[in-house]
Amino acid sequence: MAASGKESAGSKAQREFVSEAEDILERMRDDLSELAEAAGGGAEPDPDLINSLFRSAHSLKGLSGMFGLESLGELAHRLEDLLDGLRMGRLVLGADGLALFDDAIETLSTALVELQASEIGTATRETIAELLGRIEGFGGNESASEDAFGDLALPSSILRALTEYEEHRLRDNLRRGRGIYVVGVDFEIANFEQGLAEVTAMIKEVGEILSTLPSPGETPDSQIRFSLLTGTDLSAADLATRLELHPDSVETAMAPCPSSNTAPTPESSPALTKPEDEDQPSEPQREAVQESGSLKSISGTVRVDIRKLDELMNLVGELALQKGALKHLTDRLTSETSTLGAGTELGKIYRGLERKLSELQAGVLEVRMVPLRQVFDKLVRVVRRLRLDQRKEVRLEVHGVDTELDKLIVEELVDPLMHLVRNAFDHAIEPPAERIRAGKEAEGTIRLEATQRGNDVVITLSDDGRGIDTERVLERARTQGLVDAEEEFSEREILDLVFHPGLSTREAVTETSGRGVGMDVVRSNIASLGGIVDIESTAGRGTTITLTLPITLAIIQALIIGVGEHHFAVPLNSVRETLLLDRSEIQSSEGREILNLRSEPLVVKRLAREFGIEEEARGAKIYVVVLGMGDARMGLIVDRLEGQQDVVIKPIQGPVSNVRGIAGATELGEQGAVLVLDVSAFIEDLGRRTVPIFDRSRVRRSDA
Amino acid sequence: MSSVATPDFAWDELARAATRLGDEAEAEVFHEFLAFPLGADRYALPVDRVREVVRLRQITPVPRVPADILGVISLRGEIVQVLDLSQRLGGSIGLRTPTSRIVVLHGREGDAAGLLVETIASVLRVPEHAFRDAPDSDTDFVSRLCEDEGDFVSILNLEKVLDLGE
Repeated sequence: MAASGKESAGSKAQREFVSEAEDILERMRDDLSELAEAAGGGAEPDPDLINSLFRSAHSLKGLSGMFGLESLGELAHRLEDLLDGLRMGRLVLGADGLALFDDAIETLSTALVELQASEIGTATRETIAELLGRIEGFGGNESASEDAFGDLALPSSILRALTEYEEHRLRDNLRRGRGIYVVGVDFEIANFEQGLAEVTAMIKEVGEILSTLPSPGETPDSQIRFSLLTGTDLSAADLATRLELHPDSVETAMAPCPSSNTAPTPESSPALTKPEDEDQPSEPQREAVQESGSLKSISGTVRVDIRKLDELMNLVGELALQKGALKHLTDRLTSETSTLGAGTELGKIYRGLERKLSELQAGVLEVRMVPLRQVFDKLVRVVRRLRLDQRKEVRLEVHGVDTELDKLIVEELVDPLMHLVRNAFDHAIEPPAERIRAGKEAEGTIRLEATQRGNDVVITLSDDGRGIDTERVLERARTQGLVDAEEEFSEREILDLVFHPGLSTREAVTETSGRGVGMDVVRSNIASLGGIVDIESTAGRGTTITLTLPITLAIIQALIIGVGEHHFAVPLNSVRETLLLDRSEIQSSEGREILNLRSEPLVVKRLAREFGIEEEARGAKIYVVVLGMGDARMGLIVDRLEGQQDVVIKPIQGPVSNVRGIAGATELGEQGAVLVLDVSAFIEDLGRRTVPIFDRSRVRRSDA
Repeated sequence: MSSVATPDFAWDELARAATRLGDEAEAEVFHEFLAFPLGADRYALPVDRVREVVRLRQITPVPRVPADILGVISLRGEIVQVLDLSQRLGGSIGLRTPTSRIVVLHGREGDAAGLLVETIASVLRVPEHAFRDAPDSDTDFVSRLCEDEGDFVSILNLEKVLDLGE
């Protein structure tokens, strides 16, 4: 209504803020979950991760300030201070620290969701205030006092040049009993950056560079000398050999002390698990470096509102319509001798236009494509988190993260995939003891894989858990009266019952039957994207769920078909072939019409009957459109095939939001709106006999 | 007021003018309605729910929906369902004549919905005191009445009219 149509002046800026802040939070979440995992495994926090979190908090602070969001800015600021304390070793990150960061990130993302809609809610503001209090109180973990470097054989010129952070790293290396060396290397000024990078990389393989200092020395004018303050377990001689340097180039400030480096005491500051990040800015410069970094984009990419791409896509769709009209005119001109010359000329122009237009279309489509990586990464994090929370040994393997899909589809996939992964984690994978008894590895594996197959993307999620107990599922369906008690079902049909809303929402049987909850929602979510869900399971061995999705929803090639006086569009990616047959070739079996297609039975349906519309007068010949998705096939009997068209599928607006079998509609010149068939719904409904497993909200019949 | 068929452009102007008035005349509480005849009766709906009024155009039937839904039209590329108001209110199939119009409404969630009406008559400005509660009915399609020159005009409760029981 009136309110939904208008936008306040600030809302565009707010959207920009939210989208950038989301990216930052995403990074923070990544870093934090890695930290949490390391902490869970008993390892010390990785300074790289702390630094990365520190930088993120700093960016968030700046961003919030720019958009005048004081409460978020304040929270980010306090987090930044806290992280600074951690990276400087003034504070120690314990379990409570992890929890604090976790809560802060969750609160920030709640705030973003609220901002996206309107403004930060009161409850969230209170939580922020509470978090600020907790951060205030987080001083209790102050680490040991700082000691001087009196024992070190380091020239004071180097000691004086160290930043606070570098001193902290030096102290930390000393605590771990590492040897401290000054490695002096000369480079040609012309290409010293490259040489320095090579040496840096070599040192990082065996230790940490604490500081890189250019130093005066007796070098020719064309050369420059660097002193690399290094911490490593190697001896001076070994380090020199490793770096292919003369032994004199490595000066020992402190020899390694092997006994103490193996088991760092709990009180000690974070120990290194990875070498230092090479672009770590030194302390006095960090503000300046980060400010300039935030102003200038490094990647050269542009952030675009998906709605703008939709508009572009619509324009391309309209151009495709105009192209159709032009083709029409060209054909008319060339069909008459008097205008043949002009027609041929126009034909050339037409073909040129057609080529460029399809390039444009492909280009716009490509811009919308994003890899599945982000979604998969998110799932990996979720499993990592679940693993820590529930102390259950489950590994998530992901493959095919670079497989690309339309951005809109990817976004809509997050929830169903999350649901499936959680189901697998919670219900499918058995406890370790049970797994060992069954002769499996104690650790369960969930494998997520994406591959492109033609115009579809196939995502499979398989687990090596207990599998679905079909007997129990059937028993349950019978006691609930969802199916006839007498009737026999194939394994496949029983597995299909898992998607039944009546069965799928009952949690009670999940633990023992090994099947998931909310599968009906997953199926309808995937169906709304024009995809299908398939499930296979072997008791005791595991379950595989396959999602088949179109690559894009935006613009598709369609086959236009006619039934009676109606026209429909069928997405061409689900058309396997079309047949012209004698009516007598249709046979029937068990009340279903079938066709012998190269010695395989193909179930066929009459579109007219499905939709309750009148067919044309019956001739001897009929057209069959063979539809396919994944491995499923079916035939659709229609009156006419009317050619191919590029169409932009639009949602149907109005009081009835979903019509089973209709995916949307498109405008086709003179025919006005033409409905686009939802092939996935037809295929899903194909195998159903007695069990009307419809998503009830989607079913509408004309006689209702 | 009586039924007067006026050209489309005038209707758009009128609707816009009424919307503007509605914004400005806050001190004096008037409500604007788009009124039209249906058979022998008069109905009205709030002007602020009207997005536009368009001429009748090709309506593509949609299978598997209640008969009240005539089908969909393409509105500059947007696909919008059209509801037959006459049937929806329990009458016969709505007439499609040269004066028929499709009133495109702002729907519940920012989407649009079309209503087929036989003709468009006028914009009513109704002062607050002229409203009357409608007699009870099980459909609740009409929530209030307003008096206009001695006749009652039924004001449609669009939430109910557009709710096809999902």
